[in-house]
Amino acid sequence: MTDVLKPRDAKEVEDAVRWAIGHEKALELAGHGSKRAIGRPSQTDVTLDLSGLSGVTLYEPEELVLSAKAGTPLAEIEALLDKNNQILAFEPMDYGPLLGGGAGEGTIGGAIAVNLSGPRRIKAGAARDHFLGVAAVTGRGDSIKSGGRVVKNVTGYDLCKLMAGSWGTLAAMTDITIKVLPKAETEATVLVSGLDDAHAAQTMAAAMGSPFDVSAAAHLPDHVVSWFDGLPNAEAATLLRVDGFAPSVMHRKEALAALLKPFGPVAVLDAKDSQTLWRGVREVRPFAVGAARERPLWRISAPPRRGHEIANLITPAAQMFYDWAGGLIWVAMPVPDEPDAGSIRKAVAQVGGHASLIRAPASVRAAVDVFEPEAPGVAALSKRVKESFDPKSVLNPGRMWAGV
Amino acid sequence: MQTGFSLAQLLDPQTAESERILRACVHCGFCTATCPTYVLLGDELDSPRGRIYLIKEMLEQAKPATREVVKHIDRCLSCLSCMTTCPSGVHYMHLVDHARDQIEKTYKRPMADRAIRALLARVLTDPAKFRFAVTMGLIARPFAPLLNAIGLKRMAAMLKLTPRRKPAPPIERTGKVHPANGERRGRVALLSGCINPVLAPSTDEAAIRVLNRHGIEVVVAAGEACCGSLVHHMGREAEALAFARNNIDAWTREIDGEGLDAILMTVSGCGVTIKDYGFMLRGDAAYAEKAARVAALAKDVSEYVGGLAILPLRDVRGLTVAYHSACSLQHGQNVTREPKELLANAGFIVKDVPEGHLCCGSAGTYNILEPVLAKGLQARKVANIEGVTPDIIAAGNIGCITQIGAGTSIPIVHTIELIDWATGGPVPEPLAQLAAQRAA
Amino acid sequence: MTLRMPDVDGEVLARRARIVSALRTIVPGEGVIDQAREMRAFESDGLTAYRQIPMVVVLPQTTQQVSQVLSFCYTEGIKVVPRGAGTSLSGGALPLADGVLLGMAKFNRIREIDFDNRVAVVEPGVTNLAVSEAVAHAGFYYAPDPSSQIACTIGGNVAENSGGVHCLKYGMTTNNVLGCEVVLMNGEVLRLGGKHLDAQGYDLLGVLIGSEGLLGVVTEVTVRILKKAEMQRAVLIGFSTSEDAGACVSAIIGAGIIPGGMEMMDKPAIHAVEEFVHAGYPLDVEALLIVEVDGPRAEVDYLIERVEAIAKTCNAVSCQVSTSEEQRLLFWAGRKAAFPAVGRISPDYFCTDGTIPRAKLPQVLAAMKKMSEKYGLRVANVFHAGDGNLHPLILYDANNPGELDKVEEFGSEILRLCVEVGGVLTGEHGVGVEKRDLMPVMFSEVDLDAQQRVKCAFDEKGLLNPGKVFPKLHRCAELGRMHISGGKLPFPDIPRF
Repeated sequence: MTDVLKPRDAKEVEDAVRWAIGHEKALELAGHGSKRAIGRPSQTDVTLDLSGLSGVTLYEPEELVLSAKAGTPLAEIEALLDKNNQILAFEPMDYGPLLGGGAGEGTIGGAIAVNLSGPRRIKAGAARDHFLGVAAVTGRGDSIKSGGRVVKNVTGYDLCKLMAGSWGTLAAMTDITIKVLPKAETEATVLVSGLDDAHAAQTMAAAMGSPFDVSAAAHLPDHVVSWFDGLPNAEAATLLRVDGFAPSVMHRKEALAALLKPFGPVAVLDAKDSQTLWRGVREVRPFAVGAARERPLWRISAPPRRGHEIANLITPAAQMFYDWAGGLIWVAMPVPDEPDAGSIRKAVAQVGGHASLIRAPASVRAAVDVFEPEAPGVAALSKRVKESFDPKSVLNPGRMWAGV
Repeated sequence: MQTGFSLAQLLDPQTAESERILRACVHCGFCTATCPTYVLLGDELDSPRGRIYLIKEMLEQAKPATREVVKHIDRCLSCLSCMTTCPSGVHYMHLVDHARDQIEKTYKRPMADRAIRALLARVLTDPAKFRFAVTMGLIARPFAPLLNAIGLKRMAAMLKLTPRRKPAPPIERTGKVHPANGERRGRVALLSGCINPVLAPSTDEAAIRVLNRHGIEVVVAAGEACCGSLVHHMGREAEALAFARNNIDAWTREIDGEGLDAILMTVSGCGVTIKDYGFMLRGDAAYAEKAARVAALAKDVSEYVGGLAILPLRDVRGLTVAYHSACSLQHGQNVTREPKELLANAGFIVKDVPEGHLCCGSAGTYNILEPVLAKGLQARKVANIEGVTPDIIAAGNIGCITQIGAGTSIPIVHTIELIDWATGGPVPEPLAQLAAQRAA
Repeated sequence: MTLRMPDVDGEVLARRARIVSALRTIVPGEGVIDQAREMRAFESDGLTAYRQIPMVVVLPQTTQQVSQVLSFCYTEGIKVVPRGAGTSLSGGALPLADGVLLGMAKFNRIREIDFDNRVAVVEPGVTNLAVSEAVAHAGFYYAPDPSSQIACTIGGNVAENSGGVHCLKYGMTTNNVLGCEVVLMNGEVLRLGGKHLDAQGYDLLGVLIGSEGLLGVVTEVTVRILKKAEMQRAVLIGFSTSEDAGACVSAIIGAGIIPGGMEMMDKPAIHAVEEFVHAGYPLDVEALLIVEVDGPRAEVDYLIERVEAIAKTCNAVSCQVSTSEEQRLLFWAGRKAAFPAVGRISPDYFCTDGTIPRAKLPQVLAAMKKMSEKYGLRVANVFHAGDGNLHPLILYDANNPGELDKVEEFGSEILRLCVEVGGVLTGEHGVGVEKRDLMPVMFSEVDLDAQQRVKCAFDEKGLLNPGKVFPKLHRCAELGRMHISGGKLPFPDIPRF
């Protein structure tokens, strides 16, 4: 009995899923397997390796659309887009280093399946906002399609939204169509030094409420700044990025710097330093290197203005930094096997939002809720949705919640 | 919109006109957004689009109006905000006027309803009767809450609108000519009307002073009387047309006599109707042409004065005026800029009122006949006005002034009285305190 | 009306009186309307070609009432059709003869404005424009701006995933909503999302938006609000062919410029609006492009110059740049008046809505000209050039017998063509009843069944807005089954690869 199936095309994916249904096997869906270690530990029999479905099938830069097979490496797509001065506007995170792998791994299917959205989310939207069309094999062995190759499309239910962020539990995507956007000519980052978390939240709110079109907003408390390259000093750094056409960036960075002066000492970083810095944010650098790799890592999504309150509600030994103007918080707990889920859940209940245990040993992830437990009504609905796609629990069973 | 009138029905000119109006409606629903009753109630039946539907059905079926249809048509303020909003040019005003006429002809109202309407039709169309009613009202005013409690809400509403002071003593105003100061540059008629002489004679006196001051002779035509607006809005069409003909005759005598450059109104509610005289009497061979001529000469006082070069004499700088744009001016006559420009040129700081397109709830007799909705709109309007913290409120319609005045302590005066003050006239009485503070 | 709707449940109609009085105990006062003459006002939405008086109209005011009404209908097996402002152009709010028409327009309060988190929490009956107006004093606005924004409600926007001129740059409703409170058909009240920026588990909010009132009734919405751009300027460009116009759009995007809005009008549309609005549109061009650039001042001036330069390289025959806010508004006045202007030259018009890959526009326009001759009906085109969303306006007279049927055929043919060239049936107006029977043109049975199963997860009795979007109704039990024989599912042995 093989424990890896590697289909060569969409038809073979369908065959594989049907086989699994027929023989009551549970499948683990994997592109490059770069995010294998996220979620509740695998309760599957066989791995469905989708990396064989690779290759860009359509790319029309002036139509802002690209289609590719789901197993196409993200790096390949990003390189192609870059050649044409375009980007994936949702600036996908890179969890590779975080999870003990290399940087630049992962497939486009994986990125969409986990709604992998980075700093630019606050301006340009999340991965799910750029996901236009899909062909996939459901847990019933049905090959379906939804959406299309055009942005304006309200024909039928938006199944793309359901599949994005579903962690491969609803369907095995075989073909993906996404919206792509122009790459900015240049960028700059305005930096305010020495702010505590609460003042940083206020500063970021002011920047986001300005007409200067901020494309990323993050706050690095002083206990994490040493991990980032390109910072002028060892104080806490609140970062606001502006990008676009050169003349525009030139004016806006100065205007933004002037606006933020009342909040603290301001510096402006040029394109090169800015890019380095934000790469570090995308890789969750402080918790992706050295001893920090052993620490349980939470990803908290909260109302941006209130994110900073989380710090006061959990152990002071936790380390953290903020993205999405305070709406995304990476929290590393001090003790390797102790995620301290109780305090995190309580904090999130008070502030609003949800928390996911992105990294922890498998034994911990088996014992603790990895994804935020949903309210009973929503949980029941999620279960029914799962069953509508995958009644036999063939696809990544239990990856998100027990019994789903 | 698809219509289902028979050819026989379309032989009637009024029905044909309404069919034309109905066909223009594409049911887009934009009108619902700016309709005061829809904004308050969220019920399609209390929106222009819904009312158009009800009217269409009533006219097509040629059956008597029902209680439900009457309820929703009665709730229409005739503010005409919908007409300003409608992208398709639906003439809602003519349609609802036809509907009201039809209702009065085919629907038997409950006795209390008939009684109060008859009372209003009699009292509000004649200054002498109105003066008497106000005097009586002053005496009965303290009983308003009691009346409200026992369910006589409309009587209570009427009493609450009675001003707290005695009405002005009766003076014969018609047939008077007020010569210009110095060289005469123009000649206009001024409608004295039914309500102003009793509640606010200062308004017309101010208008006359402003006009005289700028070289315009003013005549209050002999034989003029009510413009017919209120009874027209109640669907009492025969009475309305009789009033119209009377005034047309009075003004025609002046036009054919010494001549008139314009016929002015200080009550914008009257202005809408007088400008519509041509349409209302289009089927009357004897009056059609005269009516059209009178309608073409009709102007709101702010429109006309705005065309004169006014000379501000008094320093009124620093006084903030919230300009309340009466529905009958902004929607009914499309007069929006002129009063504000007048005030600004006179030196006042002019502020717009948020949700300025929404009615204050006065709407003729609406604040008596539909007291609950009127109160809701009054509260909303007052809150919006007070939110801009003005020193003074200016408006071009006695109905609005009474309605808003009853809900706020900020002084409210007619626009023309402010212009009079700014160009050398006396300080309007509600502003006496304010002016004293400035002098000190 | 040639439209087939689900079979009327005579059993429910027989109980009508009892149902109405039960509803009156849940929603007292004027909130229950049951007389045909009054219900008639609710018989259609913006698509007046289709009309149906409902069994009863209910206008609730609280989430509690909505929950109780739905729960009651669920127990009694009564269908429910939700309605916002009734401005839908696809018949999404068309009532059912045996159903409750649930009007949400009384939910008209803005509950909270949170500038710190840049969101507003509003009731579903609040109009789209009212949201922007409520935050305008602080220099904010709500980005999705359908042309009916003065009247259409946020709840309706959620149901249809509404777009608008500015959705090219700022996204559609689904990209601008962070949370909602929704009542399921069985009366259950759920909260999805909130002020935080991504979904907790499955993106249930994402599938709810655009579900056209089939998955739940929304009773509260949390929307994103954005800071208004410092400046907006527009360029009005005329072309002698639609190919040139299309090429210009491609060139602008190819240069890395994403305008705030990019709209195109064809000659018939230009003539119709110019006669009524006098915006100064050139009358001798085949296609007119309005490109709006918004953003920080420095950026706008720079980009306007670049757009102007690009226009010249694309054979523009006229090019005007707005130099003031008044002029910019004037450029837009014509485009915004397109529908009503067309309404003035024709007793009625039918607005269709398909999306095509932009490069296919000249081909589609040429084909439509031929169709116009074939059907003997004039057509004017308004096109969201930036994202390929096309609005052909077919002019007709409803009082002419048989004309409506021709219009429907013409519309269907256009939409089939859209799908044929790689586009979709509807860009922003929704499927509703209008395009329901064309769904098989885009989706296979298997595709449609998968969507239906999602519906079953939300509403297994199929009582919420049946007869819309999907041409066939299935019983959920039937759809849920997987065919088993001999204890094993008949699927192949281990695949040989």
